[in-house]
Amino acid sequence: MGNENKLINGWLMLHIALCLIFIFAPIAGSFVFSLNSDRFPSLPLGEFSLDWYRAIWNDPLVWSGFGNTVIVGLIVAVIATILGFGGAYTDYRYNFFGKSFYLALALLPPTIPVVIMGLAMLAFLSRIQLSGSTISVVIAHGVMCSPFAMAIIRLRLSQMDPDLEAAAWNLGGNEWATLRHVIIPFTRPAIFAALFITMAVSFDEFAVAWFVSGLNETLPVKILGFLQGQVSPRINAIGSLAFLSSMTLIVLAQLLLRNPNEGSK
Amino acid sequence: MDASTTPPAIVKFDNVVKKFGDFVAVEKADFEIGQGEFMAIMGSSGCGKTTTLRMLAGLEDPTSGDIYLDGERVNGRATWDRDTPMVWQSLALFPFLTVQENVEFSLKMRGVGKAERAKRARKWLEKMQITEFADRGINQLSGGQRQRVALARALVTEPKILLLDEPLSALDAHLKVRMQAVLSNLQKDLGITFVYVTHSMSEAFAMADRVVIMSRGRIEQIGTPEEIYRAPYNRFVAEFLGSANIFDGVVGAATPGGHMVAYDGGEVDLPASELLDAKTGDKVTFMVGAENVDLAPTDAGQDGLAATVVGEEFLGATATVFLETDDGQELKVQKSHAELKAVKCHAGARLIAHWAPSACHVLPGEKG
Amino acid sequence: MMKRPSLFSLVLAMPLLVWQLAFFLFPLLFLIAISFWTVKMFQMQPDLSFANWQRILTRGVFWDAYLRTMILATSAAVLTSAIAFPASYAISFKLSERAKRWMIFVLIIPFFTSYLVRVYSWQVFLTDAGIINAALGHIGLGPYPMLNNTFGTLVGMVTLCLPLVILLQTFSLNFVNRDLIEAAHNLRCGRLRTVASVVVPSAKVGLVIAALFAFILSFGDFVSPLYLGGGNPPTLSIMITDITKSGQQWPRAAVVAIMMIATLMTVAFAAITYAYKERGK
Repeated sequence: MGNENKLINGWLMLHIALCLIFIFAPIAGSFVFSLNSDRFPSLPLGEFSLDWYRAIWNDPLVWSGFGNTVIVGLIVAVIATILGFGGAYTDYRYNFFGKSFYLALALLPPTIPVVIMGLAMLAFLSRIQLSGSTISVVIAHGVMCSPFAMAIIRLRLSQMDPDLEAAAWNLGGNEWATLRHVIIPFTRPAIFAALFITMAVSFDEFAVAWFVSGLNETLPVKILGFLQGQVSPRINAIGSLAFLSSMTLIVLAQLLLRNPNEGSK
Repeated sequence: MDASTTPPAIVKFDNVVKKFGDFVAVEKADFEIGQGEFMAIMGSSGCGKTTTLRMLAGLEDPTSGDIYLDGERVNGRATWDRDTPMVWQSLALFPFLTVQENVEFSLKMRGVGKAERAKRARKWLEKMQITEFADRGINQLSGGQRQRVALARALVTEPKILLLDEPLSALDAHLKVRMQAVLSNLQKDLGITFVYVTHSMSEAFAMADRVVIMSRGRIEQIGTPEEIYRAPYNRFVAEFLGSANIFDGVVGAATPGGHMVAYDGGEVDLPASELLDAKTGDKVTFMVGAENVDLAPTDAGQDGLAATVVGEEFLGATATVFLETDDGQELKVQKSHAELKAVKCHAGARLIAHWAPSACHVLPGEKG
Repeated sequence: MMKRPSLFSLVLAMPLLVWQLAFFLFPLLFLIAISFWTVKMFQMQPDLSFANWQRILTRGVFWDAYLRTMILATSAAVLTSAIAFPASYAISFKLSERAKRWMIFVLIIPFFTSYLVRVYSWQVFLTDAGIINAALGHIGLGPYPMLNNTFGTLVGMVTLCLPLVILLQTFSLNFVNRDLIEAAHNLRCGRLRTVASVVVPSAKVGLVIAALFAFILSFGDFVSPLYLGGGNPPTLSIMITDITKSGQQWPRAAVVAIMMIATLMTVAFAAITYAYKERGK
């Protein structure tokens, strides 16, 4: 790369910095505002304060929202990972008529606008009397999170020695035994990563949950409520905590995916 | 094709054909493997050797024809229901298990208890001299050590037959030769049948009792290495062996011992034992081994093929000389350095190539 | 290997298929169906009526919202792509492997923050008495109205799309053959011209797909237009949420939703066709 122009490179780096500032300003801002005593923060910033955190700690609505979010997240993580695993293995091993349709069905949900998904699910689930409950959110998130689980596990499967499964069969393991003793142990890091990431996706999903959860609102839905009602800086406190927990989940997932311990190759 | 007396067959391929869609991978494979034999299946890429092995293992089903294992017809039986463990080209060791757990795997699949598994696995770890690695992950082992784990893993159930799919192809040269000896000795020790797939002729000929040569889905010849080398069946095998000069000829007048055969460059009296039932006018192809061709100077009054030396290759005590006749035919001659010096062999030299009729071998598979 | 699907293969393949058919495909098909239903006494009744379609498609409000949504989404897509490109270019061509990996990790972080919280945070920044205007005020500028208008909406939409677009653009720029660039420079093609005539065409597919994703995300977003744009005039997504939450007129909302899907599919098809069209040279 000989033809370098230092000035242009400088501008390019500046541009990256500006983009990053733009992307992280609201995130950092939210964190700072959560520790700020002002209700409507501006410059100069007010005093340091933990009031907002105290406010959400004492707010039963926030706790119930958090509870719903956690329950939904845990259940969705398990369901989406199981569904995604099945889809990933099917794509890995089998070729069949209609496979493109199968894959499209499995992977398209993230491309549909959430408003439309929300409306469709609301109409459908209420018709079959399944709307307005935690189950409705679980169903909707199951649809939206399985593609992520499927992609993660499929990626891991493509790292597997193509003869590994056949070797297990050849040594006396039928398909079920091989699944249990070879495929699952090999994909274990990806399975855990999928569990974490689908939980994180479910945590932050507010739009469809808003449509279908009725009175059993998840936390993001509550946040939406706060936004719509009077503007409340509690949102910042909730947001910062949610961010921290999501990040923890992500970092754990990353560590798992890179685990060199058991010779991941 | 299959001449030798073999012990009772443990494998029988009866007119097996394998097609993938329109592509014929294996065409009418018909042979037997005897108990305790070391059988090599050899050929270049795409010849069908691996497909044949996989059908034996149960990883593919024949399109038509029958496969018998130990007298039983096993078409359609899944690989986990057969006792045909395989050593894979990539070894396919389980990276999430220790060495001992890898070896124990097939016992675990068969429901053997924990203590018994460990005992039997340890026995095989000792046999393959890798006991010290029992609790290590397989990534910590060298290529040769991993080979041994793969062998122990396959043999732990003490099967009657072991399949090997080019297991040495990933090893470097000196390790290859060592492992060839290990495998040979192992097979003789255990007395079980080995079915060994390879693209390397030297490997096959070094280790095997009999060799199956395949090309483009067809079996070209089956025999012991000596048989094949001495009497290749057709042009493909002869060319594959690489050490022969091949001539196309036409059967002419009868002679006391056989017939005259005319070819580009002369005539030769071939015995009936070689010509078999060929009649006058038939086309035959015959070969002369490179070591059986003699060279003489042009002025020595020797009858034969005139040719010019175009190249030489040193092989230790001997050299291979490449010559070209006036008609463009290539000849290969293998002689000691002394013999070549005697006829003043050098690049560009014109010499007469000649051989005894007894050195000629008619390729039975090429009869017109 | 097997002719008839084995129990094993069905157990693994079917759950996902059944789930997505029942809870993804069917609800969407159901949406099309209910657009022909009517609402009697606060209840949706099966019907075959074009009343909803007629009502929505003849109202100026709808087409105003449609146009506005199209303009916003297109602007967001173009704006985000333009802002992202120099950054993606720099990441792909100017950073070391290690720096690249870090950047990608950093760019994934926003996906796991709450979009809602970020929008709320922007309110604090953009409001008349907010952070940015206060800072500008210190140097004697402003205050500029940045909230409850198109500017605010676009800020929100770019926030939504920028990380994804940078990642997708970077990914496709990574595949551009570096030798082509050297060859172009060798043939005395200036830097900017090289970018325009060599780099961009080579990465055309990825760049178009990135813009397409930005378009789809912005087209369907209701949060930014509502909380940063003031909600007036409404976008199609706001129309849907309004209709749904304020009554049981789901069939009418369904009409709007179907129009949205149809538009998105058309745009996606056109974009992908354009992206994969062979350069006629």
